[in-house]
Amino acid sequence: MRTYDVTVIGGGPAGLAAALSARENGAKTLLIEREARLGGILKQCIHDGFGLVRFQEKLTGPEYAQRFIDQVERGGIGVSTLTFVTRLERTQTGFAVTVVNRDGVETIQTKTLVLATGCRERTAKQVSIHGTRPAGVFTAGTAQHFTNLLGQLPTKRCVILGSGDIGLIMARRLTLEGAKVLGVYETKPTPSGLTRNIHQCLRDFDIPLYLSHTVTRVLGQDRLTAVEVSQVDGDMRPIPGTQELVACDGLILSVGLIPENELAQSLGAELDPKTKGPVCDGQLMTSVDGVFSCGNALHVNDLVDYVSESGELAGRGAARYAPAPRREVAIRTSPALLCAVPQRLDLNRDNSKTPLYFRSREVLDRCALRLRVDGREVFSKRYPFLRPPEMERLDVDFTRFGLDENSQIELDIEVMDHE
Amino acid sequence: MDLRKTNKRLSQRFGGAVRATLSDGCVVLTGWLSTWNEAVEACQMAAKKYGAVHVVNNIVCDEAVAQPMRLPSLRDGALEGRRPDVLIIGGGISGASIARELSKWKLDILLVEKEADLALQASGRNDGEVHPGVDLSKGSLKHRYIRKGNAMYDQVCRELDVPFRRVGQYVCFDKGWLKPFIALYCLWRRKHDGIEDTRVISGAELKRREPNLNREFKFAVSNPSSGCVCPYGLTIAYAENAVQNGAQVSLNTAVLSMEVEDGEIKRVHTNRGTVYPALVINAAGVFAEDVARMAGDRFFSIHPRRGTNSILDKKAGARFSSIASIMELARSRGHSKGGGIVHTAHGNLLVGPDAVETFEKENVETRPQSIDAVFAKQEKTMPTLNRGDIITYFTGVRAPTFEEDFIIEKGRKTRNIIHCAGIQSPGLTTAPAVALDIEQMAVEELRKKKAVAPNEGYSPIRHGVPVLRDMADEERAELIRQNPDYGVIVCRCEEISRGEILDALRSPICVPTVDGVKKRVRPGMGRCQGGFCSPLVAKIIAEFLDVPLDQVKKSAPEANITFGRTK
Amino acid sequence: MSELVCIVCPRGCALQVEREGDTFRVTGNSCKRGEAFAISEQTAPMRTLCTTVRTAFPGVPVLPVRVSAEIPKGQIFPVMEAIRAVTVDRPVDFGGVILKDVLGLGVDVIAASGLLRPADG
Repeated sequence: MRTYDVTVIGGGPAGLAAALSARENGAKTLLIEREARLGGILKQCIHDGFGLVRFQEKLTGPEYAQRFIDQVERGGIGVSTLTFVTRLERTQTGFAVTVVNRDGVETIQTKTLVLATGCRERTAKQVSIHGTRPAGVFTAGTAQHFTNLLGQLPTKRCVILGSGDIGLIMARRLTLEGAKVLGVYETKPTPSGLTRNIHQCLRDFDIPLYLSHTVTRVLGQDRLTAVEVSQVDGDMRPIPGTQELVACDGLILSVGLIPENELAQSLGAELDPKTKGPVCDGQLMTSVDGVFSCGNALHVNDLVDYVSESGELAGRGAARYAPAPRREVAIRTSPALLCAVPQRLDLNRDNSKTPLYFRSREVLDRCALRLRVDGREVFSKRYPFLRPPEMERLDVDFTRFGLDENSQIELDIEVMDHE
Repeated sequence: MDLRKTNKRLSQRFGGAVRATLSDGCVVLTGWLSTWNEAVEACQMAAKKYGAVHVVNNIVCDEAVAQPMRLPSLRDGALEGRRPDVLIIGGGISGASIARELSKWKLDILLVEKEADLALQASGRNDGEVHPGVDLSKGSLKHRYIRKGNAMYDQVCRELDVPFRRVGQYVCFDKGWLKPFIALYCLWRRKHDGIEDTRVISGAELKRREPNLNREFKFAVSNPSSGCVCPYGLTIAYAENAVQNGAQVSLNTAVLSMEVEDGEIKRVHTNRGTVYPALVINAAGVFAEDVARMAGDRFFSIHPRRGTNSILDKKAGARFSSIASIMELARSRGHSKGGGIVHTAHGNLLVGPDAVETFEKENVETRPQSIDAVFAKQEKTMPTLNRGDIITYFTGVRAPTFEEDFIIEKGRKTRNIIHCAGIQSPGLTTAPAVALDIEQMAVEELRKKKAVAPNEGYSPIRHGVPVLRDMADEERAELIRQNPDYGVIVCRCEEISRGEILDALRSPICVPTVDGVKKRVRPGMGRCQGGFCSPLVAKIIAEFLDVPLDQVKKSAPEANITFGRTK
Repeated sequence: MSELVCIVCPRGCALQVEREGDTFRVTGNSCKRGEAFAISEQTAPMRTLCTTVRTAFPGVPVLPVRVSAEIPKGQIFPVMEAIRAVTVDRPVDFGGVILKDVLGLGVDVIAASGLLRPADG
């Protein structure tokens, strides 16, 4: 039976970074990937803009992934591709990982696990789109797979619902390939994607963006023939009487990503309803001892650089892990924050340079993140603006605040008075 | 049937706009009404529940402009000149089960289905419940077949390799004072109607069995013989077994018209040529009335009734393991059981259906109101029911008659037709038993023309595609050793391998579309709804057929997935 | 004065540009690159282009490619057309030139994928 110190599940950017970091920290490491090639979703993200933080370069997805893959392939890491994890079980010394691949069924022993399982896209039915079930309704990622990996044009004339980054990227991509993108419709009153993508993907190509609009119905028996769009009210409910039919053969959905945590849940890991990822400490260990989470499985990221960083953190945590009693304290967030990671700290571990990731709930100008312990502000950072689509990251030295298990740690955002 | 009384009531309600007359043993309604709901109401006023005299609806209705049946675009002569002994019209559960039972005989059986796959309408768009028949009284055909059909399920599903489990059904009550009355009712069902296993259980027992149901339930009627089956899976299995035994299934094949001479159907025109059958079996669902009309044998009417079901994530499925619904006293008059919550044969939760009258036989659009109505009711059955767990929803159109009973009989005017019509709930449960009777009727009819001998090669056994995710590791490993493609997972949510997908493509009725594969082995049925795997499945199909990827369809031949190469 | 959003990095600064004779005054930027971007947007907007090219290899219908440096915004569709005329029929690694000096812009179209990486020789 194969045994490892660290087994990383998922060979996308988070898993690649986690495996490298685990190896660098001396662990015997296995990386398991479902698909034939490493790289995860980056394989189909052929646009550029990856790696600005990490490499100060604008790389395409495959280029960014290759920098990690090359290191992984340099040796020292066990890699199993076309291998699917069917079951995780706790054992006395760690975990049993059962996988299937072309060689059969195998159970692997590992001391710790890093779950880098990524996320999936929200579908049409999950955003309550009704009507018929024709061909031509794609999530943006599926359309991207067809276009960029299979070289097939999924639509000639389409509507995009949701202004998430993949949707915006696909608006440009399909336009470049000769399709007509009739418009991007966003239910919220503000865009969901990065501002630069609104500009370089929509404005550059004169693609209209309709805010506070949604698609309520799809029409067509076999292939999509039209969609019905409606304006929505302040609660994002369609306003009766505002329906309008838009003739098209494609509906591309970019309506949100959901971290994939079915494996984490099978081990009983507690999930955060805000991030939909596991509740983690500063080492990115979940509520299950020896199980770590990173990347988009931990929380949905907008920059791959932070995905890699969380992978490194989780990989290091897993490599250095030794069972020890926890001394935990929760990091709470005020309603001004959409979410924050980590959700708790283990005071028995090193918290001197803990990366803290957060998103604001609303678009805010001139504001400050405030960290309070027992009601007293111990740390703050100013921001010229905060936008929910853009995750913020900072390092915090939590050892300075004299924390114990009873400390009340709260993160808050305050809009600063105009002078 | 007192026609005078009926006409008096019709006249009171509709002011003389509608009249009932007796003609050829049917109550024929004529006149003019503005809405379809009024027309349905008028026909229901004239109909006797479970009656053998049927209402025929000839009311002209402003709203309900009859829409022509959607026809396959395919036009060829593939069936031209075929002279089958039996032509079965309709590839739903009725047609497929009849084809299989008839394949015990040395007969030329041709089943035609207008859609691109089997079970694409009501048979694939229901809740999959195998009913106990607790609410059916003696005297109806539904009652006649339900216990027998229910009892046959274990054997049929074993023979056809279709998952079936008797998970049990609970009809739940929140008013304790009703308990003695319901207990008496159950006793009556047991003694009088032969529903042997129906029992009242206490609220505490219900809590013990299903802790996530409403804690306020005081008691429930338990029907342990209820079960669930994959309704399209069973239909496909029946049809595959029929094909293995020599029957022919022709998809994308619609009956366009018939020529009837001297009370006999002589010629049946389809989009794939003219067929000369000795006997026709009408299993055409919502179009059964239209087929009867073509055959010169229209003595009933269908009033389509739509119902929408939601499918919830398997994570929700883990919270409940049977079938349940709340029984509410103040219930609007209707013919639906009001839906319920079902732990499906695949481990999801299904919530629904509702019941809405419609004149549109093929409109399976979903509407948000349906989901709202079903959840409003079923949240009382299970308060933790969460709409956020919905992964998909679908609408089916049932095919009831106004008498709300089945029609299983030989033609009244036309000799060589057998009707299997008006099939609605519990038509899935009754199908195995009904098929046996129709088999007998058909053989009897054919023997008037020719000798009918048993099919010596007949085997009732059909092997489905192996389901590797349900296997023990050793068994799975052994299969992968024989075929490494079983070790390549294509659909991550449902854990479906490339090997299983290829098996589906090599099955006796190959439907090489993304939906066809999905119905057979489930890639794309999970929580990502094919987001990850649909391009991969399309690619496997393209390689299997050796065609360019853009030739692979979602379902029908017009359902293009892509428009060719980008470059 | 014109307003625009900087696309140099994900920060997306809101820039204001004012023409002052032959020069420009840029405000709202957080770095030098933002200033340069704002000025080039006024004079000769440049964009990068990422797309795919057809290949002759079975199993690799298309190969991701990009331009080696930014090209004038107005040249995006002409360059797309030029790429459309090409089929890659030999192994090529990351950075391998697919189209040299495309349309005389002084920029190459290069492979941005290791899918057709030559086998180690």
